[in-house]
Parts: sequence; C-alpha cells; structure tokens
Amino acid sequence: MTTLAATSPAAARSAASAPRVVNVLRLHLTNKWTTLGTPLLILAFIFLVNYVIWLLIYTSTPGGDREAVQGTQYSGSIAYVFIYMAIIGIQVVLRTFPFALGFSVTRRDFAFGSALLFGVLSVIYAAILTIMSYIEQATDGWGVGGHMFSTVWYGTGSLPERFSQEFFGLLLFFFVGAAVSTVYLRWRALGQMLLWGIIVLIGLAAVTLITLTNNWSAVGQWFVDAGSYGVVLWTLPITAIAALFGFRVLRRATPVS
Amino acid sequence: MTVIEDGRPIFVQIAEQIENEIIDGTLPEEGQIPSTNEFAAFHRINPATAGKGVNVLVENGTLYKKRGIGMFVATGARERLLVIRRDEFEKQFIRPLVTEAAKLGITREQLVALLQKEA
Amino acid sequence: MSVIEITNLTKRYGNVLAVNDVSLSLEPDKIHGLLGRNGAGKTTLMQLLTGQDFASYGTISVFGAAPVENAHVLRQLCFIKESQKYPEDFRVKHVFRNAPLFFENWHAAFADQLIGEFRLPLNRRIKKLSRGQLSSLGVIVGLASRAPLTFFDEPYLGLDAVARQLFYDRLLEDFAEHPRTVILSTHLIDEVQNLLEHVVVIDQGRILVDSDAEELRGSATTIAGTARAVDEFTAGRTVISRQGLGSLAQATVSRLSAEDRAAAAAAGLDISPVSLQQLVVSLSGAAESASQADNAAQAARGSRGERTLQAERTVQAERTSQKGQDR
Repeated sequence: MTTLAATSPAAARSAASAPRVVNVLRLHLTNKWTTLGTPLLILAFIFLVNYVIWLLIYTSTPGGDREAVQGTQYSGSIAYVFIYMAIIGIQVVLRTFPFALGFSVTRRDFAFGSALLFGVLSVIYAAILTIMSYIEQATDGWGVGGHMFSTVWYGTGSLPERFSQEFFGLLLFFFVGAAVSTVYLRWRALGQMLLWGIIVLIGLAAVTLITLTNNWSAVGQWFVDAGSYGVVLWTLPITAIAALFGFRVLRRATPVS
Repeated sequence: MTVIEDGRPIFVQIAEQIENEIIDGTLPEEGQIPSTNEFAAFHRINPATAGKGVNVLVENGTLYKKRGIGMFVATGARERLLVIRRDEFEKQFIRPLVTEAAKLGITREQLVALLQKEA
Repeated sequence: MSVIEITNLTKRYGNVLAVNDVSLSLEPDKIHGLLGRNGAGKTTLMQLLTGQDFASYGTISVFGAAPVENAHVLRQLCFIKESQKYPEDFRVKHVFRNAPLFFENWHAAFADQLIGEFRLPLNRRIKKLSRGQLSSLGVIVGLASRAPLTFFDEPYLGLDAVARQLFYDRLLEDFAEHPRTVILSTHLIDEVQNLLEHVVVIDQGRILVDSDAEELRGSATTIAGTARAVDEFTAGRTVISRQGLGSLAQATVSRLSAEDRAAAAAAGLDISPVSLQQLVVSLSGAAESASQADNAAQAARGSRGERTLQAERTVQAERTSQKGQDR
C-alpha cells in the first residue's frame, strides 16, 4: 500500500492533466501480460516447436543436409502471431471500453488511445520480428537451415522494407480485430452474426466471381507482380477503412449491460 | 434525545437537542457548542441539515457566532429558553391534563392531591 | 446555478420508456437522493447524465454543457455503477493504479485509508471478488476521486452493516470537508434518508417527488382505526394510499396541521409518522394505480377491488426491496 500512497494529490493532479489519450494508452498497458507477455510467450513457443521440427529433419538427413530444411522457407507459422494480434485488438477494446467510460473517458479519447496502443505495439513487434529475421539469416537458419522470420513471403528485403512489412501487417490485424469488437459493443451478438454473415457472403461472391470468370491465374499473377512489399502496402487502405469504421461504430456504442 | 425520529424535520430535532442541553446545563452559557460537522458525523445526518438546526438558534439569539472560532451559547439563553418551555409546558401538558381530568370526573382537589403524590 | 439541468428528457428502449419526459434541476454541493424501486429508471437516468447513453429526446446540461463526448464535463464527474465492468485481467491494485490518471482530485492517502478500513485485498483478481468487496471497491473509488459530481448507483449491495456504516461515516466526513455534489441512488431508503439534503423519487421513468428532504419529512402521516372513522377523516383530503383489513383501515395522508391531529385523535384514530421509505412505497403504489385508473375495465371493477390490488402492490414493493437487500 505504500506504493499507492507515494502518489500525492499534486502528483495525481499532474497525472490526470496529461493528455487523456496518453492516459488511455497507460490504462491499456496496465497489465503487460495481456499485450506483451502472452504474445511473446506464444512466439517463443511457436519458434521452439519449429526448431524441434527443423532439428528432426536436419538430423535425420544424411550428413546434416541444410538444403533439406530449405522447404521451411514456405513456412507460414508466423501467421499465428499476426492472428493473435487480432485477438488482442478484440480483447483490448471489448474489455476496457466499459471500464474507461466508467472512469469518465470519452469514446473519442478511448478510440485514439487504443489506436495509439496499436501503433506502439506494432512498432515493438515489428522491431522484434525484423531483428529475428536478421539473426535467422546471419545464423543460416539457426544453424539448421530453418525459416520462420525470413521466408519467401517476407522478411528478406532491405531493413525499411522488412520493418514496414511487419509494421503494416500488424496494424491491419490490430485494427480489424478492434473493428470487429466495436460491432459487438454496439449491436451485441446480433451485430456480430450479421457482420460475419456479410463477410462470408462477400468472400463467397468474390470466389464465385473469380472462378466463373476463370481469373484465378490473374489473381495469382497480381500477388506475384505486387510482390510481398506491394501486397503489404495494399493493406493500408483496408486498415484505414477498419479504423474509420471502428471509430464511427464506437462513437455511438454504450456500455449498457 | 440522541436518536433521530421519523416524521419530523431533523433540523428541528437538532435545535431541540441543543436547547435541552442548554437547559440542563450540559452546554453552559458562553461555552462553545460542537461544530456543524461534528453534529453531522455524530448523528449521521447531512451537514447542511445540522447547520440549519444551529442556524435556527442563531437567528433567535440562543447562540452566537464568533468568526473563525465557532458557535457559543449566548448569555441569558437558558433563562429565555426556560420561559418559553414553561409556556409550552402549560399548553402541552397542563391544559390537556385539566381537560382529561374534568372528563373523568376528577375534582380540582383530587387532581392537586394526585400531583402532590407524584412529585 | 444548478449542476444538472434536464428538460423533457426521454429514453426509449424499444417499446419501453425507461425515462419518460423528465425535467429536473439539481443544485451544487448537496447530497441528493435518487430513490425508487428496482427498474424505476434510476440507472438509465444516471447513464444519460454521465454521457454513457444517448437520449431519445430532450436536453441534458451538466456543468453547463451536454455531457455526451464532452471531455471537459466528464473529467469532473465520477460514476460508480452497480454493474461496472472491469477488464478481465485486472486485479484490485490495477484499478487504483489507474484512478489517479483519470480523476484530477484523486486522493491516494484517503484511498489507502479506505482500502484498509474496508479490508479490500489489493492483489485479488476482480473476477474473484465477492459482491460486497466489489461494492467496497466502487465506494472507495467514488470517495477518493473527490470528483465535483459523484454518482453512487446502489453502492452497497452485498455490504454488511459495518461496511455500510463506514461508507455513510466517511461520506459525511469527507463531504463536510470537501463539499461537492453527490447523487446517491438506492432503493434502501431507510438507511440513507438522514444523509440526504434533497430527494428525487422516480417511478416508471417519471419523477414522483422532487423536494427538499426536510420538507418531505413529516409531509405525510399514517392514520389507522376503524374503516368508518378513517373514511370520515380522509373525506376531502389527499389520500396517498389506503389499506383495509376487515373493519379496520389505515391511510397515508398528506401533511396534517396541529388541529387535524387533534381532530384525528378525538375521532379515536392512531397517528404515526411515515418514514421516507414508506412514503416512497406509498407514492409508487399510488402512481401505479393512477396509471391503471385510466383503464376503463379497471374502473368498472369498483373501488373495493382497486383497494385490495393496491394493498397487494404495496406488499409486493416491500418484497422487491427485500429481495434487493438479499442479493
């Protein structure tokens, strides 16, 4: 309790007079396990599982053939990390919104503070992933030719390319997750069902359209032409739409139970 | 009279309580009375209500205020309260007593005798 | 200058009018009671006042401006909601770590004192707290925030008698030293009635009473006796509620003068004061039967049936408040 008492009234006043948006960020970071601890543990776990597999392949090939492990450059295991970011996006908004409003925060400040959190987390994780991709290359796949952070998809370009790929990718997942949870906050379960229904319908329509017009090769070609960096840049408008959509929905949401 | 009753304004009850304590000497003349907040905390009542009770007595001159110090019992307050209370006593107790006695056929002499027995 | 000014406020959820054309003005630096039965519209009204919900119709002004999305207004208030949700991974200490960030007048030493007095375990997860501990947490945040406008919504569900007394004592002490506007919403009226300076009674989304607490005390009296004597006495008076049992009856009537009292006593009627709780129960019942009186079928049933119904309702209201207490 002495730690709490250390905050004098004057200190409290200065803490509360900091920009609300910054204080919302601090609120989000209260429990660092949720936003930093758990995702890093998951990342470590995925890496460990991968490493065991690489080791198994490496030791079972005659003479320790690194080329045999080269197939892992098509690995998509890093996707789990991105998907987990979407889950954080959902959790952060869903769990903290009623509490923040209870602490007299406006929806606007809550939205901007949450966006700030996603930016900060994206920088942190993008930096970690970028550093890991360089280590992976320098150690020639952790000594066994394994690939997780640098694959044919990404993590192989220049430093700004690698970093911005990770950064924009992470942002996309955070904001899409957050947008999904704002729909729940505003319209509850019914809104969720409608949202997913619409997403599935759009997806099906796109697949049907591409299949009927025999355009799958064109789609594949587009991804190849755009390159991994180009594809990531294309996430920007989607991220912006998700952010704007989430903001508009949140502005009329209520924490009514 | 430390318990607040239902159905009567609290400030009236607070004023009455202070008066009673002045009459029985608990609060001597020129002595300081507890602060409004002390009354409020003691009776678990709203401070504004306690203040209203005290103010009634300030307005009728029973108490007076020393700026920055507190409330004090005015000189002569006890004597004045006694006059008022004796007057009320007559109205509230003696008159109904006499009326009721007459209703029950108790004569004046019997009534006096009864009172003497009680006293 | 009032802290809160509401005009023709209405909040509709589907077909339900949770708040129905309410106009109200509350003065600063007072403890106001917002009283009424469960589901009367108390919480909805406070959610509207704190910008957590949106009005269907009407205007709200808090500290001179609309509260919705108004950071300047919101940072001056603290709303302790009975059903407040906390982030799932939060422990008690996390709430206190964040409070100074959002309440400018937050007093950490006072919070520490209250945490000790209410015996709140700082390291426990919020999810694991009992109902009483959850209420304690809200009470402590509400008191230590020292917000210029503090709302307590049913703040003591699950609190034992000792903790409730502690809350009243600390509220009065701190209010005396740091005057501010407090709105205390509850259906447990008996315990808090002496703390209040102003009383608002709400029922079915409408304001029944908006009055100085002291004026309300003694504004009603219950008389009891034979049905004939009661009816004779109440003829031509405002009867708030009436109950009958065979040849006996009792009625709650509005303020009686000294002569009225003497007359009632002469007629052999018992006179007893009406507590605020009883008054609210009677008024809520009366409002309900008044709204039902519009119903022609109801009227056709005759006065006798109506009376019994009303008595039942009073009993029901008491049961409801009892239930809330047990929860």
